[in-house]
Amino acid sequence: MSSIHLKALTKSFGNFEAIKQMDLMVRDGEFLALLGPSGCGKSTTMNIIAGMEAPSTGRVFFDERDVSDVPMTRRGVGFVFQNYAIFTHMNVRANLAYGLRMRGVGPAEIDRRVAAIAEFLQLTPFLDQPSAKLSVNILQRLAIGRSAIVEPAIFLLDEPLSNVDAAFRAVMRTELKHLQRQFKQTMVYVTHDQLEAMTMADRIAVMDHGVLQQVGTPLEVYNNPANIFVARFIGSPGMNLVPATLVERDGALLADLGAAGASRPLEAGLAAAARAAGAREVWFGFRPEGVNLAADGQGLAVTITFLERIGSRTIVHFDAAGTAGKAVFENDVPLAAGTVAQLVPADALVRLFDRQSGLAIGGA
Amino acid sequence: MSTDAAKAPMSAADSDRKLGFYLTLPAQILVLFIALFPLLMQLYISLTDWSPLTGRGWWDAWAFWNTFGNYVELTVDARWWGALWRTVLVMLICVPAEFLLGLALATLFIDNFRGKRVFYSIILMPMMVVPAVAGYMFFMLFQSGGPINNIASALSGQNVAIAWLSNPNLAFVAVVVADIWQWTPLMFLILLAGLVGVPDDQLKAATLLGANWWQRFTTIMLPRMKGIIVIAVAIRLIENFKIFDTLYIMTAGGPGVATETISVYIYKLTTNDLAWGYVAAIALVILISLSIVLGIAISRQARAGEGAA
Repeated sequence: MSSIHLKALTKSFGNFEAIKQMDLMVRDGEFLALLGPSGCGKSTTMNIIAGMEAPSTGRVFFDERDVSDVPMTRRGVGFVFQNYAIFTHMNVRANLAYGLRMRGVGPAEIDRRVAAIAEFLQLTPFLDQPSAKLSVNILQRLAIGRSAIVEPAIFLLDEPLSNVDAAFRAVMRTELKHLQRQFKQTMVYVTHDQLEAMTMADRIAVMDHGVLQQVGTPLEVYNNPANIFVARFIGSPGMNLVPATLVERDGALLADLGAAGASRPLEAGLAAAARAAGAREVWFGFRPEGVNLAADGQGLAVTITFLERIGSRTIVHFDAAGTAGKAVFENDVPLAAGTVAQLVPADALVRLFDRQSGLAIGGA
Repeated sequence: MSTDAAKAPMSAADSDRKLGFYLTLPAQILVLFIALFPLLMQLYISLTDWSPLTGRGWWDAWAFWNTFGNYVELTVDARWWGALWRTVLVMLICVPAEFLLGLALATLFIDNFRGKRVFYSIILMPMMVVPAVAGYMFFMLFQSGGPINNIASALSGQNVAIAWLSNPNLAFVAVVVADIWQWTPLMFLILLAGLVGVPDDQLKAATLLGANWWQRFTTIMLPRMKGIIVIAVAIRLIENFKIFDTLYIMTAGGPGVATETISVYIYKLTTNDLAWGYVAAIALVILISLSIVLGIAISRQARAGEGAA
């Protein structure tokens, strides 16, 4: 077990900057999800931690130890691949024993430790089966066991659930989180699926275009996104962003939504932060979940474009003076496509972002 | 209708299959004729002492019937056994050498390096050379005044004039060298395809588990290539068993019979001795033995295919 510290990490492939100046601290025993869309640099970050790729500049520390120049053979990183990379020409036992065998551990010791890890991961009944035809949850346990048996300092998981069908993914998520708790291992989990990150991780590191956007607990990231990328990316659907101008009126700071509707008052804390920042042109952000219907003239005047029934809820797609957005309602919401409605976001859930920089005002 | 019901009714699939059979029947007969007729003819002639010198057509060969006389003669034919031994010796030296060289080259070609494509083309070139031309090339190279002796002279500082192709042992060496030169590229090509097919993730996983290069090679790459290695070796064994063109142009099986392999022996029997009945017997024996080798290789390959996923 150890912490991971990435210091001023960069990585370029030719002219393409995969990682731009990244500092990240993963605490000892923490389950950190590295979340981002495809091509955001999350896999590259993981490969650098594992030693599969060398950073262009910057250092990698495990605890206080600089491991940047330690080759991957000796870095002691447990790695679970997207497709698990099980040695299908060996049986389960040989897969588990592999790391010990490569290190020249004696046969008696190997037998003892294989038996122990198989017991722990409930793999004992499969020990002498060929590994080629196992079901995917057993493969996942085998992949974890094969890495865990050599007692790695840290564990890296590269989208291990992406090849699993949606129904089974929920089972695997639970099992994985359960295993992590038992191992008490530092784990970094790469994923593009925010549901996986939200449900399993202690903290989430959101990346985009090679830049670390925000690091925080799932609720921090959801409630107080650091910028408009995180606001849009986290949440399903993501946060609505409507352009607004901040105006002082009768001693209160209001967000003037312009053509889209009435001015909305701001919470005291948010107003103070906005005044302190001297912000005027902003994005007025609110979660689709925190929206109510209102009488005329009180909220956002929108045209309903489309109702999306997802079973438990109804997602209402709307157009607010040229800005598309979504709101989540109960299924009995009295709206129909093509009609006009007034939507009022809950004031406490409103977030403001600077229109120029895209950064959150206050809060984050 | 009641009588029909007693019999099993003919299903649509059955009648389709029957129609298909009739439609392909002419082609099947043709294929059967092409494959079977020469075989039966060969078997027939192999049981006689017939030769074109007798002045009678092959269908009259029964006049020279000797039952299994040719096969009995084969068991005591010292020249045949000598040729067989030399053929096996060529196989035992060439195939392992080509395999090891090809494998070594293939492992070098997994990683990218400068000029990889140029080297790739150069390595594959010998395979593209017509075997007869390769034979001529090595015939020239191994002349007493040829480039190989020239180079040896230059390196040793003395005049080297080894008569490669007229010394029984050295002629054999020369023939083996030519075969290895020409056919290592094929091994290289097949084994490289096998190496490239080894999943990268598994190699990375092995590395992360602490395996060094040699350990990865023996525990991941080789076991994963088992199927393709069997194919590559089987192809070369069969081909090598039939070694002829390069060898015949270099030495014509000489000096004496020092490099006479089975194919060369058969060629001489056919064109010089015109002992066609005897040749037919030898050809059948070879066909059967090669079929056995091939059968083993294919069944092993099939089993390996079941094991891997």
